[in-house]
Order: sequence, then C-alpha cells, then structure tokens
Amino acid sequence: MLFSLRELVQWLGFATFELFLHLLALLVFSMLVALRMDLFNGLSWWLVFVPLFAADGLSTYFTTIVSIRLYQENEKRLAVLRLLWVLTVLSLKLVCEVLLCQKLAEQDRARDLWFGLIASALNISHPWGNTAVAASCCGEVWRCF
Amino acid sequence: MSLAQRVLLTWVFTLVFLIMLVLKLDGKVQWSWFLIFLPVWVFDGILILMLAIKMAGRCKPGYDPRNGSPDLRLRAWYLTAMLLKLGFCLTLCAKLERLADVKLTFVCIPLWTMLLGALVELGLNIFPERREA
Repeated sequence: MLFSLRELVQWLGFATFELFLHLLALLVFSMLVALRMDLFNGLSWWLVFVPLFAADGLSTYFTTIVSIRLYQENEKRLAVLRLLWVLTVLSLKLVCEVLLCQKLAEQDRARDLWFGLIASALNISHPWGNTAVAASCCGEVWRCF
Repeated sequence: MSLAQRVLLTWVFTLVFLIMLVLKLDGKVQWSWFLIFLPVWVFDGILILMLAIKMAGRCKPGYDPRNGSPDLRLRAWYLTAMLLKLGFCLTLCAKLERLADVKLTFVCIPLWTMLLGALVELGLNIFPERREA
C-alpha cells in the first residue's frame, strides 16, 4: 500500500514475525472487546487486554534472543541498538495499554487519569520513531541549499 | 514520494487524529465523531485515490497483463482492505453518534476481515523464507 513490508520493517525496527504477532494480538483483542461489550459485561478489562500484554512479552523475548545472537556474531553495535530501540517502543506501548486498562477497569477511582496522559506515551514514541526520518529530511533540505 | 516523506505524512495524520480523539474523550470538545475522524477520512481518501490511479494505469490498452497480473491482484487486495477499514470507521462513527443501533460485533466484522487478510499476507511472506532456510 503506502509502505512495502521491507520499508515497514525498516521504519518500525520489528521483524516480520513480530509484526505478525502484534497483528494477531490485535485481532484477538478486538474480538474480546466486542464480546465484552455485547455478551459478557462482567468480563474483566485486564483479561481483555491479555493478548496485547502477551504479544509485548513474546516480542521482548524474541528481541532479546535475536540481540544475544547478534552479539555472539560480533555485531555488538547492531545488537545493542536494536535491543534499546525495541525495548523503548515496547515499554511505551505497555505503559499506554496498562493506563488505558486501568482507566477502563476502575472508572470511578481513575477519574484524574486523563486520556491525554494515556495517549502521551504514544505521542512520545511517535517523534522518536521519526527521528531518523526527520534527520534524513533535514539532510535532503541541507543538500538543496 | 520518498520513504521519509511517506513516514512524515503518516505521522502527521496519526498525531492530529490522536490529539482530536483525546480532546473528545476528555470532554474538552463536543464535536461530532465524524469530525473527529476527519484525519482518517482524508488519509484513507488519499490512499484510495493513489491506488485507484495506479490500478487504472495498469488497465490501459497495450499493457501486457502477464507481467502486471500478480501486481494488480495485490493492489486489488489493498483497495479491498482500505474499503473494509473505511467501512469499519464509518459504522463505528455511526454507532458512537447513536445514528444506528448495531452490536459492536457487527461493527467489527470489516476490521476482522481486514486483519485476517493482512495476517495471511504476512504469513505468506514469513513461511517461504523459513522453507528456503
């Protein structure tokens, strides 16, 4: 569509299998949300969010394994950079999910928890994800002058 | 468009949508849900237009269909996925605005179809590599 799979992997820093995993988690999560809203109103929101938490955990595990393998193959710089990048993105995603789940699960007690605060984790991760792109844009503009 | 420009375009639209969504959810603005989804409509409109133009270019007389056929199939799938996403967003907005009394399960059907298609496409990209290895 707008991006090829290779470009998507390059931009997000996740492997194709990890993208598959997150997409699968999103599918199961959306099914559980629909079930929670239409059939089982008593179902806990923490249970509904389990697929997303599981995908984050599995993704962290795979990234750690890949980074260790890269480190053993003397690609030390790449291993550290990949580990730091993926862990940053995953931890921001996890913070956003936990806060959203808390807001939904404890609506009376979590009134001070704004949606703006919950989404700020995503807003932080977005500019970071685009730092490299912004740098290359600046480079292109600089070359024009 | 270069990768940097495409990423920047996606980022700007996502950021504007997130800001509008948060303002609506926190009760700071009383706009209609259709207006909140405006960045999504514009972004999807641009994508559908780009895809339609590319597909129309392939359907020109004199174009060899043997070379273009798989690519055209892929683009047709992309167009279907975009339309499914648009259908999901439209029905969701209608539900949130209480224009239609539909169950969330029915609203989510286009989204699930799109996600299943994307999973199949990703799976096809993963497993041939595994077999070669």
